[in-house]
Amino acid sequence: MSDYAEDYSTAELVCVAVAREVEDGDVLILGSFTPLAFVSYVLAKVTHAPNIMYMAYSSVDARPFRLTFGSYEAAATAGGVARWNMTECINSLYLGIGVDVEPISSIQADQYGNINISVVGDYAKPVLRGPGGAGAPEVVKMHRKMLGYFPNHSRRTLVPRVDFITGTRWKISNEERIKAGLRPGPIKFITNLAVLRKDEEEKPFRIESVHPGVSVEDVVNNTGFELAVPDDVPETEKPSKEQIRLLREVIDPYGMVAFDFKSGKERLPYLRDILDREVKALGS
Amino acid sequence: MNRRDRVINQNKVAPLSDITRLIKDGDTVAIGGAWLSSHPMAIIRQIIRSGIKHLYALTILGSVDIDILVGAGCLDRLMFSFVSMEAYGLPPNFRRAIEKEGLKYDEITGLAIILGFEAAGRGVPFLPYRGPFGSDCVKERPEFYKTIKCPFTGEEMIAVPAIKPDVAIIHAQRADPAGNTQIEGTGGSDLELAKAADKVIVSVEEIVPTDVIRQNPYKTKIPRFYVDMVIEAPFGAHPTSSIPSYVGDPWHMMKYMEMAASPESFKDYLSEYVMGSEAEYLEKIGGPKHLDVLRKLAREVKLL
Repeated sequence: MSDYAEDYSTAELVCVAVAREVEDGDVLILGSFTPLAFVSYVLAKVTHAPNIMYMAYSSVDARPFRLTFGSYEAAATAGGVARWNMTECINSLYLGIGVDVEPISSIQADQYGNINISVVGDYAKPVLRGPGGAGAPEVVKMHRKMLGYFPNHSRRTLVPRVDFITGTRWKISNEERIKAGLRPGPIKFITNLAVLRKDEEEKPFRIESVHPGVSVEDVVNNTGFELAVPDDVPETEKPSKEQIRLLREVIDPYGMVAFDFKSGKERLPYLRDILDREVKALGS
Repeated sequence: MNRRDRVINQNKVAPLSDITRLIKDGDTVAIGGAWLSSHPMAIIRQIIRSGIKHLYALTILGSVDIDILVGAGCLDRLMFSFVSMEAYGLPPNFRRAIEKEGLKYDEITGLAIILGFEAAGRGVPFLPYRGPFGSDCVKERPEFYKTIKCPFTGEEMIAVPAIKPDVAIIHAQRADPAGNTQIEGTGGSDLELAKAADKVIVSVEEIVPTDVIRQNPYKTKIPRFYVDMVIEAPFGAHPTSSIPSYVGDPWHMMKYMEMAASPESFKDYLSEYVMGSEAEYLEKIGGPKHLDVLRKLAREVKLL
């Protein structure tokens, strides 16, 4: 009998794919509230990467936790070995020893490894003013791996050239990165359809794998830039039964991981429902 | 602020309404906290109540703190690296003001803002780092980001100027009357704000005798020589969190998003929630029973 699960959602598949990018010994950061990333880290820590160390808000080397909505920050920070503020965190980790991976999502991403979290349209009077990059410009440039995740793989998100470069990988090949004093590592985009990867300045992203049930054609047609398509594109490794059990029963019983995959309209009702269940579980 | 006065003055306790002694129209105000955590919301509501205008607000990672100030018309200009309501969506007033009303803004990458505060705190005019080369943020603000060569290695670096706010506003767990301030939760870069600013106002969940601070000096992040005013404001970070005392208030954030959706309903939000006193505010958001739930959510977490 296969150890792979047959019953899983796309969100769970993407979450597990992100978790698999985490290697034991990595140093990671949980910043802006991104449920999928939080769950991926915890899943990695309780399975194949028990020694990873993460910063959660101000908490250094925080313990794995159950993700909820009402108390995610309290849970993420409980049980750390130290408290560092943001300055200590960026000076030590971003600028000092370096972070291995920190998944980010953006409004647009392009074939050069640029991301846009700033504006769509004119900069001074945009059609859409996004939230801005926070630490993302440094995240995508300096971290060992650049990892983008996109719940909606489309030509609107994966564009030939972003409207505004909030951040950029800047140096892509291992050789160029080492020359610039940066740690070598690839760019990977994990989407609801596939895993894309780029290792060289001059070569396009290539399809590393397509998710089960997705065709190569779907991926190519929904990508706004050229992709290299290997002769034999592998299928993305499915989540194992044990990974799905851990997600549903232990780490994420409320289904927070699906949040990023909900449309704008669905999001608040989804959160309200989770809150109701969470408060009931508090008892009196 | 005169440094000697700051040190001699051992009682800086003031009522919330006294912020007008230190924050004036047109000031540059740095706002503490980060994401949806530890923002000095009681002080921010008081800025709106007091009718203080034409501010240049500086935030590293802002959320409802910035959105409410923008919506209340208190800002002429904004510096930020990130303003987001996170799970609740994009900040409605912030978006409207930039997309439709042309609010002036400086989008500066997060590390660069922190470095600017650090430079001011250390008394140097700039600090260098291996900055965000290739980011359009650099192109948009050439007066802020300068490329320099390291005088020792010749390496190209980005230099950012010292940022010196007139006032920093910060919310924390507790302080003594002299201003020794303990931060337990998500403190953002509050210490760097305090070091950089000319004047510093701290609001706290509770004011305690100095003896209590001395019992646990490890928690003290901002010593009194940086602080000018101490205000007791229980739930003063609400609707953002003050871990480990209470979580952010998801119910109120949803209410906020609903009422900030249009300028008209946002006016109703301000008159219903902001224009009364802080005591009335805490009643309106749900009173003691609701506040207990927020405290409980902060305590009852499940570690694996």
